[in-house]
Amino acid sequence: MWGDNMLYGYSGHILRVDLTSGKIVREKSDPRYMLKAIGGRGLNSLRLYDELERDIDPLSPQNMLLMGVGPLTGSLLSSSAYMTISGKSPMTGILGDSAAGGFFGPELKQAGYDQIILMGKADQPSYLLISDDHVEIKEASHLWGLDIWQTTSLIRSELGSNAFQIAAIGPAGENLVKFATVACNNSRMFGRTGMGCLFGSKNLKAVAVRGTTPISVADTLIYLDLCREIDHRILHHPEWNDRHALGSTLLIKALNNIGILPTNHFQKGVCDYADHVSGQTLARKFKVKNKSCFNCNIHCSRYYITKETESEGPEFETLCSYSSRIGVDDLKFTLKMAAYLNRMGIDAISSGETIGWAMECFQHGLLNKDDMDGLNFTWGNKETVEEILGLIVQRKGIGSAFAEGTRSLARRFGKGTEKYALHVKGLDVICGDPRGMKAFGLTYAIASRGADHLRAEPFFELTERYDEAEKRWGIRDIADRLSNNGKAVLVEHTERQALITDCLTMCKNIGLSMDILDFELASRLLMAGTGLDFTPERVEKDLRAIIDAERKMNIDFGIDSSMDTLPYRFTHEPLEEGPSQGQVVPIGEMVRQYYRLRGWDEKGRPP
Amino acid sequence: MIRVDPQKCSGCLRCQVTCAFFHTGRVGRSRSRVNVVKIEAMGIDYPVICQQCKERYCTRCPESAIEIGAYGQIIVSPTLCVSCGTCEKLCPIGAIELHDDIPYVCDLCGGEPRCVEQCNMGAIWYEPDAGDSISLKVFKKKGRGQDPETKRVHYALEMTKDLRERWKSSVGR
Repeated sequence: MWGDNMLYGYSGHILRVDLTSGKIVREKSDPRYMLKAIGGRGLNSLRLYDELERDIDPLSPQNMLLMGVGPLTGSLLSSSAYMTISGKSPMTGILGDSAAGGFFGPELKQAGYDQIILMGKADQPSYLLISDDHVEIKEASHLWGLDIWQTTSLIRSELGSNAFQIAAIGPAGENLVKFATVACNNSRMFGRTGMGCLFGSKNLKAVAVRGTTPISVADTLIYLDLCREIDHRILHHPEWNDRHALGSTLLIKALNNIGILPTNHFQKGVCDYADHVSGQTLARKFKVKNKSCFNCNIHCSRYYITKETESEGPEFETLCSYSSRIGVDDLKFTLKMAAYLNRMGIDAISSGETIGWAMECFQHGLLNKDDMDGLNFTWGNKETVEEILGLIVQRKGIGSAFAEGTRSLARRFGKGTEKYALHVKGLDVICGDPRGMKAFGLTYAIASRGADHLRAEPFFELTERYDEAEKRWGIRDIADRLSNNGKAVLVEHTERQALITDCLTMCKNIGLSMDILDFELASRLLMAGTGLDFTPERVEKDLRAIIDAERKMNIDFGIDSSMDTLPYRFTHEPLEEGPSQGQVVPIGEMVRQYYRLRGWDEKGRPP
Repeated sequence: MIRVDPQKCSGCLRCQVTCAFFHTGRVGRSRSRVNVVKIEAMGIDYPVICQQCKERYCTRCPESAIEIGAYGQIIVSPTLCVSCGTCEKLCPIGAIELHDDIPYVCDLCGGEPRCVEQCNMGAIWYEPDAGDSISLKVFKKKGRGQDPETKRVHYALEMTKDLRERWKSSVGR
């Protein structure tokens, strides 16, 4: 099909921008490359693998900053809203990437680009303006210092159109906070691995994009049928009602009910006041309506209003990071912090972990006020939380040490505080105690960007579908969250399922957690969409190759199998109460089994 | 006509994507006859679509290329239209817009609007007999000289004033 020089599904162009020289090049997307890279995270990861110089400081101009979408982004496919931003992570020093939904990815696609490749460093604060074929590096000194909401609104008003989609950083990114975020649509966050810091290091305040060209698909009728099949699966899913009503915020109660809601920095898995900070309470008291990403039929997000603030959000990770994880029993405060984080551009999980770490170190008497510029890190101390966040954003005093992330912070203080720094490969653990969900534990340990659930989100183990587990893998225990039996099999599978969801730029709640996207359907969607020969065999080969490429790149960056593990707490300290009482994660055995299933050697090296 | 409840609209753009797809065979949000105005900082999402207004401003086409169809929908004659853009200028709410010299406006999909089918929020619905019931006179003056997108934003803001008041008074219920 591509012999006739017509590329379907894809926008057809790659945009290369050198911020140092100001040179902008638009090149054609190569169908042969796309057949290997598919799109989104796959496209970004392969590009890094092929072109990134390994031995560089992540903050140097040599680092690449990629924004990638896929062949089905912004299309009729439900929730095809996502875009992945990638580069060498300033936070971890290994592969960094983060995806977000909203409306930016679809707009970039319509502007005619499958990927933006940013290199170099602008000599003054700048933003990149893309309006279809028109691409320009614009001065942004007047935007420097503004928060994300102000920046978004000012760029739109200067460009005279509300239709521009803006991906911007806040003061945290400008000040090179290592876990700074990029945001689009004010509250859709590219949160993890410090992509906002990467923006800041390139003097890049924002990317503004507007696109008006619709995309042709190869086989319109088949494509329509397949998209309707996906719609049907979503609308008839048993979790549709709960997800529509609460989205990810339902997890506060759900995780608390099974004893794995991080409470006081994972010292407990059950929180007495979970009801006060739950998604249900948020919905009842402050939610005014449902919100949605591009072309989704669940509409899981929410708009809320309090006396102090209003915004879309927050999602579960923010809700938990700024409530039970740090001992705060005050939903209004949590919402206020969520808005603050979104405006300043800081990752909720990583910033919450630095605070939780400090509070636990205070509890054990390892640190005190004198170590912390007089700040008193007692559990749930709201004044301290507000103050430290302000210091982090501005990188002032002790805030500058916090802005380096928990791993670095604990190394600086030493004295046994490293034991309480809950991270893998420098990326902080998300809000879910792996002791009560073993496949998640394995995911955190092996994920190619550090302690992260979304690389394989093995949600299946929480669904109690024993018969289905038996049918698919012949191992009933896979549906038992407390068992480690067969969990490497599950993670090997869902890691590929997560990747295909990322490549199609669908929402992972839908593609993966709700188990909507399977490989066969993905292959048919890709073939109908692009006309390229994305057979199931081809797709499977691609996914394995991309996972291997990410691993090889990480080995180049200096990781080894000793880092495929979990913090001490999760492997040695059993949960003391609740429905996951007595549990730890037997991580070594699962990791070894995972290597074998992946075809890697005993040191975790791909062939 | 198609009615709108902004309280129910989540801003997903399904209506818009569906409209564009069924009229052009291509995918994406552009080339749609319904356009969702999104104002993130206020939580507003408002699908702007031809209201088959009482005044029927667009029918004052200098080429007489626009007529009203059996469902009350706007029909643009491709042979008579000279792409002068008068209809676009005349519509007070930005519901008709030229793309590549062709006016795009809701045609009600022959009485079974595809956008309505795809809205599972119940934010838009079709009322076959409601045409010619709404006056857009108040928007006429304000919208003079503005591009369709700006007119849509002003319209959406005006139409969601009450909603915003309701939200604010419900805080912390």
